[in-house]
Amino acid sequence: MAMTDSEFEQLKTFFSLLEIEGESKRLFRDLWEVKSFRQYDLLTEAGTTENYFYFVLEGVQAVYVLNEKGEKVVLGFSYTGSPSGVFDSFSTRKPSTLFLEALKPTRVLGITYTDYQNVFQQFSGAHEWGHVFFKNVLLGRLSREIELLTLDTRERYLAFMLRCPEELKVIPQKYLASYLNMKPETFSRLRAAINL
Amino acid sequence: MAKLVITPENQIQRLNSILNTVENLASLPTNQLVYRPRPKSWSVIEIIEHLSVAYDIYVDKIDSALEKLPEKAGDNTSFTPNWWQRFIINGVKPKGGQRKLKIKTLKKFEPLLQLETLDEATIVPVFERFKKLQLHLKNAILVTRFKEVKAIKINSGIGPIVKFYLPESFEFLIAHMERHMLQIEEVLQQMDS
Repeated sequence: MAMTDSEFEQLKTFFSLLEIEGESKRLFRDLWEVKSFRQYDLLTEAGTTENYFYFVLEGVQAVYVLNEKGEKVVLGFSYTGSPSGVFDSFSTRKPSTLFLEALKPTRVLGITYTDYQNVFQQFSGAHEWGHVFFKNVLLGRLSREIELLTLDTRERYLAFMLRCPEELKVIPQKYLASYLNMKPETFSRLRAAINL
Repeated sequence: MAKLVITPENQIQRLNSILNTVENLASLPTNQLVYRPRPKSWSVIEIIEHLSVAYDIYVDKIDSALEKLPEKAGDNTSFTPNWWQRFIINGVKPKGGQRKLKIKTLKKFEPLLQLETLDEATIVPVFERFKKLQLHLKNAILVTRFKEVKAIKINSGIGPIVKFYLPESFEFLIAHMERHMLQIEEVLQQMDS
């Protein structure tokens, strides 16, 4: 299924710093393909190189690493309207150490590494977009690191539940618990005790 | 012996790492690939072919099991093998970078390559076959994530004396390849010295 006009509008909003009007509109739209995944499909496997930068149209995805016991340790989520992909492998062109998995049926727009590079050559405003985008990624990672290192489990639970989008609240609890660095039982106890 | 917990994601990550290693081997010069450290030991290319021969025996068994296995709900995909299967898997698995318990290969797993006739062109199909078979394995692991794996056991490559649930057979095959990846490292090191 091709992308709809309204989906293209969402994409354009995400790239609002890019100058995509008139002729370049078609050009930009053609760089993206719609990809669909079932619940629990792997978008990216550890040990392969990430070929796509995604914009999520629908669904929730988790990025995780496997610890020594083989358990999933969740580093982050993507969801409707957010970017997705394994950015380090995508930028370095080296095999990923992370997995990207669909936790809900997923529809994304994907752009390949080569086309993504071309955006920076061909569209004015791309570098400004990139600057703001990666600044926000950095700030997000920093505030998460601070939360993980300074807040106790109850505070981490509260901080996350207050800011996270509704669709994240309905994914399997073990992924949320892992993201918040707590046992699933702790997570479920907090959920029962704290009525938000 | 410690409990062994198998997950498909862990298997996929290890299999991808093996695929990357072998992909790099494919660009080595022929004389390195056919080098035997001792007259009776295998060269790198023979080890690769041995892995294909060993996996080839599983292709039909896995395919027919996959066809019959029922779909499953939920995403709890971890699997704990029983003691006998765990014993067999741990027997081939390298520990701390060492291959313990060196085992003589059964005749049916021997690589049948004519080393003298191998050149740059005839080596290519050996790597292609390996890749095709191991991508089959990867696909089987991916499909199995959505299946009720406890419904069917298959015979292992050595026959009904060892029966495996699919995740156990995948674990055995990957551990077996990891063992031979170490052997390949040893062969290449011996050539350097």
